[in-house]
Amino acid sequence: MAVDTMRSFGPPGPDPDISMGQKLMELERRARLIHALQVAVVWVVLFMILGLALMLLNFDPQYVRDHFGFVLQGLWVTIQLALISITFATILALLGALGRLSTSSIAQGVSGFYISLFRGTPLLIQIYLIYLGLPQIGRQFQELGMQQLGQLFTLTAFQSGVLALSLNYGAYMTEIFRAGIQSISYGQREAASAIGMNRMQIMRRVILPQAVRIIIPDIGNQFIAMQKDTALVSVMGIWELTFRANRLARQESKFMEMFVTAALLYWILTVVSSWLESRLERRLAHAYER
Amino acid sequence: MRKSYLAVTLLILASFILASCAQATPAPAANKLEDVKNRGILIVSSDPAYPPQSELVEDATRAADTKCSSDQQTADELRGFDIDVSKEIAKRMGVEVCFVTPDWTLITAGNWADRWDISVGSMTVTPERMENLYFSQPYYTTPAAFFVHVDNTSFSQPSDLSGMKVGACTGCTYDAFLAGTLQIPGETMNYVVKDAQFTGYETDLNALQDLTLGDGVRLDGVLTAEPTGQGTIADGLPLKQLGDPVFFEYLAAAFDKNSTLDPIPLAQEVSRILAEMHADGTMEKLSQQYYGLDLTSAAGEFDLTQLKQW
Repeated sequence: MAVDTMRSFGPPGPDPDISMGQKLMELERRARLIHALQVAVVWVVLFMILGLALMLLNFDPQYVRDHFGFVLQGLWVTIQLALISITFATILALLGALGRLSTSSIAQGVSGFYISLFRGTPLLIQIYLIYLGLPQIGRQFQELGMQQLGQLFTLTAFQSGVLALSLNYGAYMTEIFRAGIQSISYGQREAASAIGMNRMQIMRRVILPQAVRIIIPDIGNQFIAMQKDTALVSVMGIWELTFRANRLARQESKFMEMFVTAALLYWILTVVSSWLESRLERRLAHAYER
Repeated sequence: MRKSYLAVTLLILASFILASCAQATPAPAANKLEDVKNRGILIVSSDPAYPPQSELVEDATRAADTKCSSDQQTADELRGFDIDVSKEIAKRMGVEVCFVTPDWTLITAGNWADRWDISVGSMTVTPERMENLYFSQPYYTTPAAFFVHVDNTSFSQPSDLSGMKVGACTGCTYDAFLAGTLQIPGETMNYVVKDAQFTGYETDLNALQDLTLGDGVRLDGVLTAEPTGQGTIADGLPLKQLGDPVFFEYLAAAFDKNSTLDPIPLAQEVSRILAEMHADGTMEKLSQQYYGLDLTSAAGEFDLTQLKQW
């Protein structure tokens, strides 16, 4: 009957369809909450197992309490190293990716060689080569009478560390940048050039702003990896987390105590940075939210 | 827009370079000794990984009027036998002492690029190291001894470890002793342990740590400095010394042969100061303080001229 189909035009009352939908959403929300709780329980259990494992170690908690503050002082050096290096690495990676995607054979060759060399050799060896090797090249310049230029090759331990980390991570991140840039559809380039933009403008105004959103999670990932690789620069005698923990451990042969302390600090550091990274990611996604 | 990127990159690079420029050497000196006296600081390398020779001090504060740069440690930030010897050398030269703490590998490699002037790090005088480094008068000797797990009953003397699993630091004198290639000027070697299954470690302490896992679990024995091994036993590690020391090492300060300025006058001056410290009993007092026995008299009698360095 026609009267039935007219129902929705009547005065507003409880709609069975809407209330059913709300009930379904409520159920789903509860299911999600229960799931999250279950995950949390698993975490707590794993934490307890880890704690238990630590108690099984020959472990002296008092030593950790006494020396925690001194190890903690190294955290700031670690953060500095990682922050400065990731900045340089990002710049290198952008230049490297532009080189790889460019039509110039020289740019392609240079960036290809750079990636191959620094991805193909261990970071620790690179640190040794930069710290020990560069000054020897500088010496040759000094002997040719170029004092100031030669002096530049003798980097301090901190500078050598930053240089090695930047070059190494820049090489890995070049591929990330390249993939990000290539993921932007070709139609956008064509559209941009149709309205008269040149290649530089297209890259800066159209491609990069979109590519950055895709790249950010990967850069965050590299940043976290780098925070832990800063431990390698301790070989040059920089008093960061690992150096302090390691040297204190040797004082009274308290290796487990100090290594667990350092591990915990690195873990906290990476948890905080991945939280920051996810916030940044969400911010950049605003424009794409519906 | 491309230009602004480039400008920023160049700016950052330039600041990086300028930062390193700021540490350029001051007025030119004729040799390393003069350079040290002009600067008023003696930069000593010492890895604080080897107590009681060198360890870090946790609650130290930097002296306000120090001439040491920010990436160097001041006198109060480290302590130990090597550190006290360094301080005494600097004091007798009339300069301030500053410490840097690079890894042992970087110290023995030579080619220090003038980052530090001298190593006072209990370095054994060996012919291989003399290719890159000059040595001073030795300041003490270290007995090298084998250590085994306390539970072990089957070994009674070092030679019993022949063919067994023995650990030591890689690339150090103990490694060379086990390989039967160690030569120490002024000493005849008796390689008592033959054909050991060698395991190398970053430092001796890692080897000793591995030995504590149990008798024969990963290692049957470790060759290390007697004071180092005894030190870990005092810390509560379940180890014991096996027999008498197998050899003695002469430990000296070292200088980079490839430094820009001639290091020989500095090496001679430090040797003179060390000989003086042997003669006036300072060295023996320090040895008694840190090791409870005199490890210095043989080093004082060592004839430096037999090395034919200069």
